[in-house]
Amino acid sequence: MSERTFYKVGRRAWELKGHPDGTVERRRERVPFTRRHWLKWRDKHNPKTLQRERVLVDKKPLWWTICLVLLAIITPFLPNSMISVASIFCIYAAINVLWTLIVGTAGIFSLATLAVVGVAGYAAAAANVYLGVPWPFMLVIGPLVGLIAGAILAAPSTRLDGLYYALLTMGVAEICRVFVVQLRALTTTNGAITQVDSFIPEAWFLQRPGLLLGFAGAFCLLLGALLVWRLVNSERLGLLLRAAKGSREDESFCEAIGIDFRRARLLVFVISSAALGVVGAFYAMYYRSISPSIFSLDQLLLLFAMMVIGGLGRAEGAVLGAAIVTLIDKGMIELGPLRIIIVAAIMLVVTIFAREGLTGAREQFRDFRKRKAGERRALRTEKGGEAMPEEAVDVLDKQELYYRRFNKRLRERLKKMINPELIAEHKADPLGHHSDALARVLNYFRRAELADKYVIMRLKEGEERYRIMAISGVRGMPPRVVDDKEYDALNDAYHAVFLLRVNDLLES
Amino acid sequence: MDLGLVVYALNLAAIYALMAIGISILWSSVGMINMAHGATFAVAGYTAWLVTGALKPMIAATFGKTALASAVMAGALVGSALLAGAVCGIIIYALAFLPIHDKPNYPVRALIITLALNIGTVQALLYFFGPRNQGLPKIFGFGRWEIWGAKIRYDQAGTIIGAALIMSLTLAWLRYSRRGLEVRAMMQNAEGAAYSGISRQVTALPVLMLTGALAGMAAALLSQTIFVSPTAGVVPLVKGLTIALLGGLGSVPGAMIGALLIGFLEAIVGVVPFLGQRYVMSATFGFIILVLIIRPRGIGGLLDDTRE
Repeated sequence: MSERTFYKVGRRAWELKGHPDGTVERRRERVPFTRRHWLKWRDKHNPKTLQRERVLVDKKPLWWTICLVLLAIITPFLPNSMISVASIFCIYAAINVLWTLIVGTAGIFSLATLAVVGVAGYAAAAANVYLGVPWPFMLVIGPLVGLIAGAILAAPSTRLDGLYYALLTMGVAEICRVFVVQLRALTTTNGAITQVDSFIPEAWFLQRPGLLLGFAGAFCLLLGALLVWRLVNSERLGLLLRAAKGSREDESFCEAIGIDFRRARLLVFVISSAALGVVGAFYAMYYRSISPSIFSLDQLLLLFAMMVIGGLGRAEGAVLGAAIVTLIDKGMIELGPLRIIIVAAIMLVVTIFAREGLTGAREQFRDFRKRKAGERRALRTEKGGEAMPEEAVDVLDKQELYYRRFNKRLRERLKKMINPELIAEHKADPLGHHSDALARVLNYFRRAELADKYVIMRLKEGEERYRIMAISGVRGMPPRVVDDKEYDALNDAYHAVFLLRVNDLLES
Repeated sequence: MDLGLVVYALNLAAIYALMAIGISILWSSVGMINMAHGATFAVAGYTAWLVTGALKPMIAATFGKTALASAVMAGALVGSALLAGAVCGIIIYALAFLPIHDKPNYPVRALIITLALNIGTVQALLYFFGPRNQGLPKIFGFGRWEIWGAKIRYDQAGTIIGAALIMSLTLAWLRYSRRGLEVRAMMQNAEGAAYSGISRQVTALPVLMLTGALAGMAAALLSQTIFVSPTAGVVPLVKGLTIALLGGLGSVPGAMIGALLIGFLEAIVGVVPFLGQRYVMSATFGFIILVLIIRPRGIGGLLDDTRE
């Protein structure tokens, strides 16, 4: 007997599993004041050993915690320039996470994100510089202005198509920039508001303690943005919007079952605009100034590149993209214009090869591997009338599967029996006493299904003229004529039918 | 309104229409928002600058200072710009269309890739040529005509005539050629065209080359009025995009009407005393926002209401 190859089919993916004691009662801590649990542990049974296993179904929170804690621990030991890069990364990541909320969760393709940040930042800075409002209140004015700006911007979003709305918001950003640059009061500073009061004391500005304090603030900002993301995307609002996400049909479905997805979209937009207002106020405080460059197209494209590289519509993508692009753009300043070319090249390569950015690459690779495995399985599985493992799942009557398999094997054996001698034997005596092999073959033919079964038709009563037809197998449908040959003897017709069937068998 | 203003408005409209029609045709036939149109514009401008710079001594040696010399120069300038635009179209085809046109999320990914191409090209031009403005030879010469008291500069007149010529050639190609018929079929119904045996892959290449050449033509014509610089493509791109959207993406007559409207609007806003040149961009965007709020599908939506 030859060596048989065993393929690994249906392997369980390896992952870290706990083996809890079955007698001990489960304790699950909840997040205070909510019904949520900290981590998504699930108990399962190993189908083979029937042992109890505890699996962490969603490992993302762990990765988030590890990365954020590492960032917070490592940054204070870095040189000054890298600390400011880390702070800028935190600010950009916060903006990106909130933008992702608008683009991904709400599905509104808005390009006015930085415009909202800028408007809120300008309002807060102006309140501080010209009205003498102390700096903690800037963090109140920012979101208020952001809220109003968001409400104004959100109004046409339900009426316009994606691209048209994107253009409109781009126009709004441009109008904001021109407005600020043209302001009489700011012409001396080229449209910038300087000397903004800040949570960083003036003496510490651009010194190491000031940079560290700035980083602490930016880090808290990022945490806040992620909290907003979690509260909006993963709670009720996000749930409602996920139902309406895919297509027009999904939207109609949502309307039919009473989900007001338009209102939900507007709400998400307004909430994230208010949060962007906080970022704006923080931005003005962090730099102690705010300039019209925040409204510029280049800045917007840089942020867009971040989101695209990480993966559009995912919070982890927004943060990862911000990390990569900020590191290249702000961390390697000595490269000059080359660094933007590098960013563009990364963007190009990622978009050509990845469906959903870098963070979607793992999923895409798994899909690819699954498809390849399926292709290989299909290659080595002989079909021949038998059900493939994939379709076998869909056949409810399992008897049918075994019947098909039996038939296939029977046909394989019968095919080997057919040879010229057998055909000559049938030709000599179609109805006589046959050899074992011919009897088996004929028995198989007789058992055949009615559809396409061959029959002999006498052309005229009393005359010896025959033709061969095939039964349709459908009630009410007449049989079809197979060919236009006529046979003068019944035995010839019998043999012709036999040859046709043999032909069909050998072809199957 | 005097005649000079009309000519100036038509001059703007001609350039904008060249850009907008390219974007519009590309969107409706290939389904791609080409953000690299600005890069094509800039590359075509630089290629024309390099080619004319290289050929100048040769032409001067062969033809001297005759009218033939300036004609050859004009031919070299326009030809090289057109060729560079078409080559850019091929590059966009190879990078942003061919690898992903049958993959999920194609429109957004094509937009992102062309955007990346645009950013990368602008920075690469900046890297190699520096931020300095480069002047191209004036193929229409210097000078102006006086018609009914209005002064019309040669380059303005040349731009209007050249743009009208190339646009009518494009439209004629679309209308009367076999390939144009295929492109129009794809514009009307991409799926139906595919069923009738029109290959998207094969048809997309001439469309991209054509739109690239249109951008190259726009670059050659605009370089008669302003200088060529790495970021020269940004404003035409934004204008072309906004006008294509204003016209209702995919509608060629809509894009033409949009270009005329915006051209006249900018010319008028530029001379109104209390507004002036600084508010041109804001006024344009304000106008477009207004139109889009009233007519969410742009002017093209007015022209044919049935098209989705």
